[in-house]
Amino acid sequence: MRKLVTAGQYLILALASLILLFPVLYAVLVSVQSASESVSYPPVFLPSQINWQSYVKAMETAPIFRFIFNSFVVSAIVTVGQLITASLAAYAFSFLTFPGRNAIFYVFLSTMMIPWEVTIIPNYFTIRELNWLDTYQGLAVPFLASAFGTFLLRQAFMTLPKELYDAARIDGCGHFRFFLTMVLPLSRPALGTLAVYSFLMTYNQYLWPLLVTNKDTMRTVQIGLAMLQWDQAAAWNSIMAGVMLVSAPAALLLIAGQKQLVRGLTAGALKG
Amino acid sequence: MNWKKTLCLVVMVLFVVGAVGCGGGEKPKTDEKKPIKVVFWYSVGGKVSESTKALVDRFNASQKEIFVEAIFQGSYDDAINKLKQSIVSKAAPHVMQVYDIGSRFMIDSKAVVPVQKWIDADKVDLKVYEPNLLAYYTVDNKLYSMPFNTSTPILYYNKNMFKEAGLDAANPPKTFDEVAAAARKLTVKDASGKVTRPGITIAIYGWFFEQLMAVQNAYYANNDNGRSAAATATAFNSPEGEKILTWWNGMVKEGTAANIGRKTADTQKAFIGGQTAMTIDSTGVLGDIVTGVGGKFEVGTAFMPRPEGSKGGVIIGGGSLWMLSGHPDAEEKAAWTFIKFMSDAKQQAYWHINTGYFPVTMKAYDEADLKAHHEKYPQFKVAVDQLHSTPITKATQGALLGVFTQSRQEIETAIEQVLNNQASPKEALTKTAGIVDAAITRYNQTAK
Repeated sequence: MRKLVTAGQYLILALASLILLFPVLYAVLVSVQSASESVSYPPVFLPSQINWQSYVKAMETAPIFRFIFNSFVVSAIVTVGQLITASLAAYAFSFLTFPGRNAIFYVFLSTMMIPWEVTIIPNYFTIRELNWLDTYQGLAVPFLASAFGTFLLRQAFMTLPKELYDAARIDGCGHFRFFLTMVLPLSRPALGTLAVYSFLMTYNQYLWPLLVTNKDTMRTVQIGLAMLQWDQAAAWNSIMAGVMLVSAPAALLLIAGQKQLVRGLTAGALKG
Repeated sequence: MNWKKTLCLVVMVLFVVGAVGCGGGEKPKTDEKKPIKVVFWYSVGGKVSESTKALVDRFNASQKEIFVEAIFQGSYDDAINKLKQSIVSKAAPHVMQVYDIGSRFMIDSKAVVPVQKWIDADKVDLKVYEPNLLAYYTVDNKLYSMPFNTSTPILYYNKNMFKEAGLDAANPPKTFDEVAAAARKLTVKDASGKVTRPGITIAIYGWFFEQLMAVQNAYYANNDNGRSAAATATAFNSPEGEKILTWWNGMVKEGTAANIGRKTADTQKAFIGGQTAMTIDSTGVLGDIVTGVGGKFEVGTAFMPRPEGSKGGVIIGGGSLWMLSGHPDAEEKAAWTFIKFMSDAKQQAYWHINTGYFPVTMKAYDEADLKAHHEKYPQFKVAVDQLHSTPITKATQGALLGVFTQSRQEIETAIEQVLNNQASPKEALTKTAGIVDAAITRYNQTAK
């Protein structure tokens, strides 16, 4: 009986995951179809033969691997930068007491209301004045600090018991040591969430990289995907091949990081 | 706890190295033999971008004095946004591909060099160029940009379905009424009367509306389509405009035409898959449609349908090559040399065969490759005939409008509202004209 229930549960889970994964699955299948299969009706799911030609075509049209490398470099810089700046700022807003702390925090928060598009032009001029066009720092530096990240981490830090802080202080622990050895390890789930979020946001950027780069060697993946498209007709198989190539590394990274994330979650729950 | 400190340290070091280490701007090179560099921004991706790059490579290989660097800049709209920033910061390219409806903006930007300047200086004989293509980009008797990727819409039809329905496959419908009648015959219904295959499927694409105005020789904007003077208002809220929407809506209401949204990629798919017997699409996708069909049925092409007795023709669409100002004379000359090369017969024949866009120069039709290509795709002859039979009037030259992108979207909304029973053709056009007129007024205030 018990086995039957487990089997039933797995069946339901398998079905649910099939539904959730269907778009991805279909994209994989389309990417190995021939051009005429990808436009035929009724839609073809299983290609008559695996056709790698679309991958070759996608790589010929855009230097995808170089773009993936660039996107990884920029996303990594931004992720690490945001973790550092946001955690330090969040620490100040949650553990230090200084006059006007809340007021400053609200000013911080209010910058979230400014649409990113408004700041594009001034940012562009700054980057150009610094002669940072076509460089990694030009792509990354404007995103190294974020109000959202500070907010997220502050909320996480606030959940740490005040007693912990007091105890550490009584034992003579300085701010920086408390931050490094207590706050950060205990907030791993929140740090992980912010890391994933900022990595994906940067990985998916389109307009900013397009503005500040002029060389194929400095461009990022979303521009690569745009290079595969033509406004009058769509070669779905090579577009999907490009999408697969671009999303595979990010997906793998997430799968690898997921374990760490979950572990962080449970560890925090037990120790906290 | 020690490993965490180490990790922290490593991460911080990585970050610093990442931010600082990747610097190092371009070093000025003092090599005197260095060729003149021409920066060329292009905007069309996919198979077209491959042909563009191939032609640029061909140019670079053909001589040593000039080196053209071709840079992809996203969609046409992205590229124009980028150009706006670049003009202010004096980083504009030498040559740029801009879409048809961006012409007014380019002229108003005052950052362009009309190619006429170099045509005059170089004493180029424009007679060999396709007059209908030149007409679009000629403003105040000056050719502003060199046509590059040019297409027109045509009616595609499934010859096998025509034969099954008892229609003459060699004699496709020409007028609005004939198309509606043919669509009625071609529509297949199941036993319960539900339409399983509509006779015609047209994407809600503002470009088609502009074309259907031009075939009636009607203006889209005032001041003769913005060609005598800058347009101050739209002109599409007219009996001709209503006629288009009434015809289209009539077929949709009958169930003989299907509305499957704004994307031509979707209507193409429906036509290739045998889901509809007729569609309207650009000549640029003829090759894709014929290859997609792959012999499953015979593809026929015909002129754009028009109301009985209309005397207009089609407007060309696509993009052209613009020269940007602010560069030294030698570089400007090099840019012109590149543009001239791109519009030569040999390159244009290659371009036409690989992309389906019209050749800019009529000499290209004499190239052996192109002749062989036309034998393989006889459907293209219709497109060429349609272009050549189009009288050059201010209506078929196409409208010049600084806010064309917005106008096209508003028209698409209007068509949707009519097809979804939310407004009558008259109401929808009146409302749209109001919105676009206000936008034109705003644009004209800022452009001066």
